[in-house]
Parts: sequence; structure tokens; C-alpha cells
Amino acid sequence: MQEFLEFTLGGIAIGMIYAAIALSLVLIWRGTRVLNYSQGGMAMFTTYVAWVVIDHTGNYWLGFVLALASGLVLGAILERTVVRPTIGKSPLNSVIVTIGLLIFLEGLAGIIYGGQYRSFPAAFSIKGLKIGGVALGISPSDLFTAGAVLAAALALALVFRYTAVGLRLRATAFSPSVARLLGVRIGRVLTLGWALAGLFGALAGVLVTPSTFLYPNSMDSIFVLGFTAAVIGGLDSAIGAVIGGVLLGVVLSYAGGYIGSDLVLVYGLVVLALVLMIRPTGLFSAAAARRV
Amino acid sequence: MTDAASLAVEEIVAGYGGAQVLDGVSVSARPGTITAVLGANGAGKTTLLRTISGFVRPRHGKVLVGGTDLARRHPEDIARAGVAHVPEGQGVITELTVEENLRVGGLVRRDRSARAAALNDAYQRFPVLAERRRRAAGTLSGGERQILVIARALMAAPRVLLLDEPSLGLAPRMVAQVMDLIRQLRDDAGLTVLLVEQNARSALGIADKGLVLNLGKVVAEDDAAALAADVGLRRHYLGF
Repeated sequence: MQEFLEFTLGGIAIGMIYAAIALSLVLIWRGTRVLNYSQGGMAMFTTYVAWVVIDHTGNYWLGFVLALASGLVLGAILERTVVRPTIGKSPLNSVIVTIGLLIFLEGLAGIIYGGQYRSFPAAFSIKGLKIGGVALGISPSDLFTAGAVLAAALALALVFRYTAVGLRLRATAFSPSVARLLGVRIGRVLTLGWALAGLFGALAGVLVTPSTFLYPNSMDSIFVLGFTAAVIGGLDSAIGAVIGGVLLGVVLSYAGGYIGSDLVLVYGLVVLALVLMIRPTGLFSAAAARRV
Repeated sequence: MTDAASLAVEEIVAGYGGAQVLDGVSVSARPGTITAVLGANGAGKTTLLRTISGFVRPRHGKVLVGGTDLARRHPEDIARAGVAHVPEGQGVITELTVEENLRVGGLVRRDRSARAAALNDAYQRFPVLAERRRRAAGTLSGGERQILVIARALMAAPRVLLLDEPSLGLAPRMVAQVMDLIRQLRDDAGLTVLLVEQNARSALGIADKGLVLNLGKVVAEDDAAALAADVGLRRHYLGF
């Protein structure tokens, strides 16, 4: 029973990381039907920003905030410069460009910071919490991780639902040509979508790196699992991304705990295959909702 | 002459890829009038509207709204210049609620209170939308959707309204209502309306002027009453 509790809570905590990556993918996919394969590279790169700032100033929170800000800027710049020209062309163009971006960012990080593993600090203690002598399997750092992603996701939901910017984002996501017809400058909206995606990637990077070390490829496997979470959620749905992330985190935590952790990525694939066999469009996709 | 709501299309040549659809089309609509654009399928009626609203780039020609040439600008900038295009097949954003659809239409206006007032006006004019404001627009009937897209276009306080087949797929009673609404928009709001219709009889019933397109050229242009009375034209092009 205690093991079960540990695996569950630990799974939720790591699942929130997948959720953040999944959200960043959904933000871009909804607006442009582009799958951003460079998301992990962007997250890694902005985590280096945090690492440099923390290393120089000793101030974790300054690094945290600057990483998120650089995520926003990086996302916006990449959309404007290399992604925009692929819109409206064959989907293969954006696939190749974003994979190219990934290679570029990982290469650039290697040139600037070197390939060695760097340890990255956590905001709070990583010692496991106990209640009345029972280990919970999570640390204050895990709580912060889950809380930060939840708060960011909630803020995003509020912006989407209640602001003019959110209305523009949703109108553009559902029907770009109608949005243009109504005077929405969708170019700016798409740039904003990439900026927000950059922010969520940075958040995931800063939160997960204390437990993985920082190196140019450090986000690759996290990206794969975040992508899996997004597909489980339906790729179209922000709520689906969060639930997909948590679901994947918990299942992988059980699998790693009860079966063995050597094949975690394979278990992720199994979860994905099962979900897609039952609901081929993912758990929360708009396509499924439309068919009802 | 250059009233803000005047619309003049001059010698437009446009098409898709290698296919030329419009071959030197000119239209001139005085402010506060309805101009019916008639013709068979494939005559170029929809392409004409899509060229005015910027989705099709003309190879040649001008689109003057209030004296300013908008040809070759982006659709969103043309919408911001006061041209509202209600496309065929309606274009409601089905995933958004009725109210959200209306609010998207008003986003081009800077002034928050003007947006709120426009929303109020829409609900007063169309009580059916007020009743369904929280519902997803995808749950509306065809007639309700047509009302929604017209109401949404009005949220931007446009000067020129382009309507593409607003009667398509509607029951006869709804067609009469929509035509009545278009007439009201001209009379009350002074809108300049370009009305593309297959249903030539209904369109000429409310229009001031009409023109007939065939294979990308204007083949007839006259007062609506004169067009409706021209038996030869009716038999050849209008089918009533």
C-alpha cells in the first residue's frame, strides 16, 4: 500500500513535466498543424540560460524567471524567422525545419556550453516527505513542480477563456480563414502561440533538469514522453495534454516500480498503442467531439 | 464621390493558379445601396467576393473602398478597413459559443464600450442569438447560423458588406427573413451591400442594382427592376 502511494504521487509529479511539454506541443499544433520537434531542444537551451544565470548570481529565482522569459523570446523568434515560411506548404517542410532546429539548438548548446553533464539545482529540497513515518514518495521539489505546471496551465486556461487575446488564439486555432476574415492578424497570433510554447518548454526544462543533469541532449527522452502525452490527450486539447501527461506519468511510475525501470520508454509506447487502439484520435480531441 | 462606404472594383483580372476566373470585371456600388451579383455556377461570383476581401490576389485591377485601393492587401487588413465578407457555407466557428463568435467579430474595434454596445445591439436585433448565447455555435440550425454570421459581420461596424449566397439551403420562409434583414441593413445602417445569389428573384426583389456575370465577364448591368423585367436575360442567365 505504501509503495502504491509512493508510485502514484511520484508518477503525478513527473507526469506534470510531460504535461508541460505536451501543452507546449498542443499550443503550436492547434494554431498551425505543425508538430514542433524542436520543443525539447528549445527547453534544453532555455534551461542553459537558467544554469548560467544561477551559476553567476547564485539566485535561483532570477534564473527561473529569465529561463521562462527566454523561452517566450526564443519561441517568437523561431516562429518569425524559420517556421513562418513553411506555413501553407507541404507538412513535410515544417517537419524537416523543426527537426533541423533541434539539431541546430543541440549543436549550438554543445559549442557554447560543452557536452559535459552539469548538475542543475532544484528550488526546494529533494528529500522525500513523510507523514507520520510513512514515506510519500514525493519531495517538496516535486510539489513545487506539480504546483508550478498546474498554475501555469490554469493561467493559460483563464487567458484562453476570458481575454481578447485568448479569443483570438482560439478563433485562429479552430478556423484560421474565418479569423482572418474577421480582421484577426493571425500572424501575430501564431507568433504568440510559439512564444507561449517556448515558455512551457522552458518551465518543463527547469523543473525536470534537477533530476536528469543538463547536457545538450538532456531533454530528448522527456520530449518523447511529452509528445506521447500530447497524442494520448488528442493533440488538440489543453486539458487532454495535462491529463495525458499525468496518466502517462502514473502508468510509467507503476511499470517502473512494479516491473522494472529498464524499459520505461517501451511501456510508454505500449500505453500510447493501447489508447490509440481504443480511441484513435486521442482521449480529448476535437475531432472526436465533432463526430458525436 | 469618395464617400467612405463607396465600393468600386475596376478591371479586376483574377483566378487560381493557371485558371483565370475573372476577366476584367468592374463593379461600382454607391454608398447605401444593394447590388445583386447574379450568374450561373462558375461565373466567378464567389471569386469576385474573395478578391475584394483579399483571399484571392488579383493579377490586375483595383478594389477601391472609400477611394482607397485595397487590392493585394491581406484579408485581415481589408477586414480592418471596413469590408465584412460573409462567406458561402456560413463560416461559423462551431467550437466557440454564439457569444464568442460575435465577440471575435468585434475584436477589430479598439473601444471596449463600443464592442459591448455592438454586442447589445446584436442581441436586441436578433433575440434568437440572445437566447442561445452560451451554446456552441455548432448546435444552431442553418437559418440561425446565417443570422449569426451576418450579426458577427456587423459587430465590426463595417462600411461594406459582402454576402455570398445567404439564402443557400434555407427554407423559403427563412430566405424571406434574411432578405428583409439585408434590406434593413441598407436602410438603417447605410451599408453598401454586394449580394451574390443563385436565387436571382429574391435578390433582385431587394436590390437597387444588379449585374450578371458569365464566364468571368459582366454581361449585363442595370437597375434591379429592369433586370428582373428582361425576359431574354432571365431565360438565358437567371433561370426564372
